[in-house]
Amino acid sequence: MSEPIIRLDNVGVAFNAQLRVGSSRFWALEDVSLTLERGERLGVVGRNGSGKSTLLRTIAGIITPDRGRLTRAPVSCQLLSLALGFVPHLSGRDNAVLSGLMLGLRRREIVRCLPAILEFSELGDFFDQPISSYSTGMLMRLGFSVAIQVDPDVLLIDEVLAVGDAEFQQKSGAALRERINSGKTIVFVSHGDAQIRQICDRALWIEHGRSMLEGEVDDVLAAYHAALQAGPAAASP
Amino acid sequence: MRLHLIELTLFSTYAELRAERARSYLGLLWWIVEPAMNMGVYYLVFAVIFKLGGPDYIPFLLIGLTLWQWFKSCISHGGYSIWQQLPLIRQVKLPLQVFPSVQILADTVKFLCILAILLIVLWSTGYPPNIAYLALLPVLLVELVFVAACTYVVAAVVPLVPDLRFIIEQVLQVVMFLSGIVFALDGLPPVLRRWFELNPLVELVAAGRGILMRGEWPDWFGLGRVALISLVLYAFGAWLIQRLTPRYVKLPT
Repeated sequence: MSEPIIRLDNVGVAFNAQLRVGSSRFWALEDVSLTLERGERLGVVGRNGSGKSTLLRTIAGIITPDRGRLTRAPVSCQLLSLALGFVPHLSGRDNAVLSGLMLGLRRREIVRCLPAILEFSELGDFFDQPISSYSTGMLMRLGFSVAIQVDPDVLLIDEVLAVGDAEFQQKSGAALRERINSGKTIVFVSHGDAQIRQICDRALWIEHGRSMLEGEVDDVLAAYHAALQAGPAAASP
Repeated sequence: MRLHLIELTLFSTYAELRAERARSYLGLLWWIVEPAMNMGVYYLVFAVIFKLGGPDYIPFLLIGLTLWQWFKSCISHGGYSIWQQLPLIRQVKLPLQVFPSVQILADTVKFLCILAILLIVLWSTGYPPNIAYLALLPVLLVELVFVAACTYVVAAVVPLVPDLRFIIEQVLQVVMFLSGIVFALDGLPPVLRRWFELNPLVELVAAGRGILMRGEWPDWFGLGRVALISLVLYAFGAWLIQRLTPRYVKLPT
């Protein structure tokens, strides 16, 4: 439990503000430091626009930092993405294969999972129909059923814990909790205190792209809520 | 890792072709009908109205246009592929060469269908198969590398400067006329012609016409030169995409 697999030291990420010659950049992450150890479940809290999603995508390796240092052991990190790369005119089956390939699975692995995907998504005969004929709920079910097949070393979750109608929410939530409780390393971004308390064993609070506090879940949530109540400007360093 | 990317590219190509078929009533028929209509327009304008070329003008035009359309459709589909996939690129880490490659492969499949029909037309109009057909494979392979190279470079730059989309179609039109697709470059003064022949497409189209119309072997030295240029350009394009990847995800949505 003491082997750090991902480490961020004073990481900053800048985006282009707009497509203009000489346009300025803005720093979505200013200065974030964290360490993630194997098997650890880290919760990330912060207001809208504080840089939580950018942080996740930086950890995933999609975004490279513009300053600071990111070190990562040779592990696979994957953002839990629903309906990734779906093509409207293709069947659910073809889309499951395509999405699985995008998420880094080998074709034979996905083909092996297809019966499980079909069963979990409850699509029945619709599985071989073009997904353009699906309802939003069906799409979410298919997307989740595919995404849950991916088994990276580090799973990054941005809010989505459960999708679909009440029944499927329970089912997808249970499947994901099972995945989370199997000793996997997790980074979980959420606004829900209850979920963070339930899932995570450590938490990080970020504000305006800076890490404010990292530590025990209860301490971090308490500090975060104290700052929230003090008003929008107070949290700014 | 490698095998996974090959699987991803091939399956995406299948998905692309499959989806394209589903997007219209006539589906696959458009692969043939659209280029045929295009060729008909050029034939009407240049052969019937301007009365260009001699008795060989029809095969000359058809071969030129077939090889040209392959190049053009790869650029105009593959060249925008990274730009169009930006939302996906923000979600998942993938080598981005996959996206233009998928379009190139899909357009190559369509090209092969058109080529098959072209061959049938040629055979039934007095240009039978000959021993030089053996050289068709290397010529097409070199064109494939050249097409892929140009597509990669365009695909790498368009996300950073999307305005290029408004220029590319016009540039392609000019390149087509400069490549001797619809009229022979024989009429040009020798000095000018030497410059025109630096264009790899001129070499490739000439090789294709020589083989299919006259049973001539290609100029191997010229083909080798084009192959070398194409390989270098291809490596540059792949490197450029790699190099610019960190910047794509930071572009404004």
